[in-house]
Amino acid sequence: MRIHVTPEWCLAMARREGDLEVGAGLRAPHVEPEEGASSLVEARIAFGRFVHLVRRKRGISIERLAKDASLDLAEVVRIEDDLHYNPDPRTVYQLARVFGLPQRPLTELAGLAVPKSERFRSEAIKFAARSESMEALSVEESQALEEFIRVLSERHEA
Amino acid sequence: MSADVSPVFLVNGSTGELVAAELRDGIDELDLQHWEHNWRPYLVERVKEMQAQGVPREKWPQQLHWNWRYKARVAEMFLGQRGFAIRCEGMTQGLMLVGLVSDARIEEQRGKPLVYVDYLETAPWNQSSLQRPPKYRGVGSLLMNAAVSLSLEETFGGRTGLHALPQSETFYRKNCAMTDLGPDAAKQNLRYFEMTPDQAQAFLKGGK
Amino acid sequence: MTEPTKRTMTLNLSDEEMSVLDSLAQQKDVTKTAVLRQALRLYQMVSVRRARGEKLVFENDETKEKAELMLL
Repeated sequence: MRIHVTPEWCLAMARREGDLEVGAGLRAPHVEPEEGASSLVEARIAFGRFVHLVRRKRGISIERLAKDASLDLAEVVRIEDDLHYNPDPRTVYQLARVFGLPQRPLTELAGLAVPKSERFRSEAIKFAARSESMEALSVEESQALEEFIRVLSERHEA
Repeated sequence: MSADVSPVFLVNGSTGELVAAELRDGIDELDLQHWEHNWRPYLVERVKEMQAQGVPREKWPQQLHWNWRYKARVAEMFLGQRGFAIRCEGMTQGLMLVGLVSDARIEEQRGKPLVYVDYLETAPWNQSSLQRPPKYRGVGSLLMNAAVSLSLEETFGGRTGLHALPQSETFYRKNCAMTDLGPDAAKQNLRYFEMTPDQAQAFLKGGK
Repeated sequence: MTEPTKRTMTLNLSDEEMSVLDSLAQQKDVTKTAVLRQALRLYQMVSVRRARGEKLVFENDETKEKAELMLL
């Protein structure tokens, strides 16, 4: 769609707009300013790590996960490896379904929604820090994973 | 698929001069990069300053918590949702998400489809509450022009609706001359504004 | 700048379907094409959300009673 405006219209309307605020839309829940910016990136790191570990815990390959979740192989690889990759809401939905986990906390973890609590954010960071990319899932990783799944499930009930 | 681009003008907040800009039918990755790496850090800094100055939370900019990546995905996924962006001098200056599946509420227009503005935001440096003078003026009017024009193109007659942020009520009530249907309990008590076909024509002609 | 391509389709409707289409277009003060495009948008939105496990529900404004819309 294209619009057709004259310079005169733009000038007149901009002058009248002056210093008025113009925002419209529903307000989102309050979040600390530091969290607002960095939590998105931190959440994404934890999300990729989480998907990676859950997959390895279940002993399935990336190919298998992609097939089960009806996702592109390339996308699953990027979710696990690429810090700057933003997953689709549909992708998060599919992964939650395949893993048998609640939607909302996973959506927050994927950086598609701002986490509502400080505790969730710190748990996500702790989890990302504790988990290492290793061939076999270590006892430490296994414990970290179990605990985080518990936190995710608790959040869903909260 | 490349976006439709319309040449438009913003006004430089310091000089009052017209500056060439473009309205884009679609929000693409570049706009999202600008949002993430330019809008957000600016907003976060300003809010940190406000926090340090003891400005109460209610006065912090609402838009800090809006996630345009998610909104842009929604626009991609659904035929009934469309995104728009305004760029000027290589930077995204405004973003808007609209829906096409809502109905009018004004009595005489009831049941007729309209373009509903889900979200409209101008870059933080264009907001006078955060920067004086604002960098550019006119983003709101141009995005509303896009919403109304889309409504006409869809044969909705120019009908447009939205819930205004509290600090923006004057813009929609006076500049856009929309009908104020009052606070909506279902939408955080934000005031709901609607434009009739006649009001739409008046707006496109340059209003009063 | 290239215009996005528009595709054309011929639609066969029964008398009854055409009558409903006409009636909706008139009620909503839009073209028949607009009615069908709205229907497509709504159907897509409903399908996606149903696939996510969400329900489409009608709520009676006065009684607040809810009735689920059964969709295949």
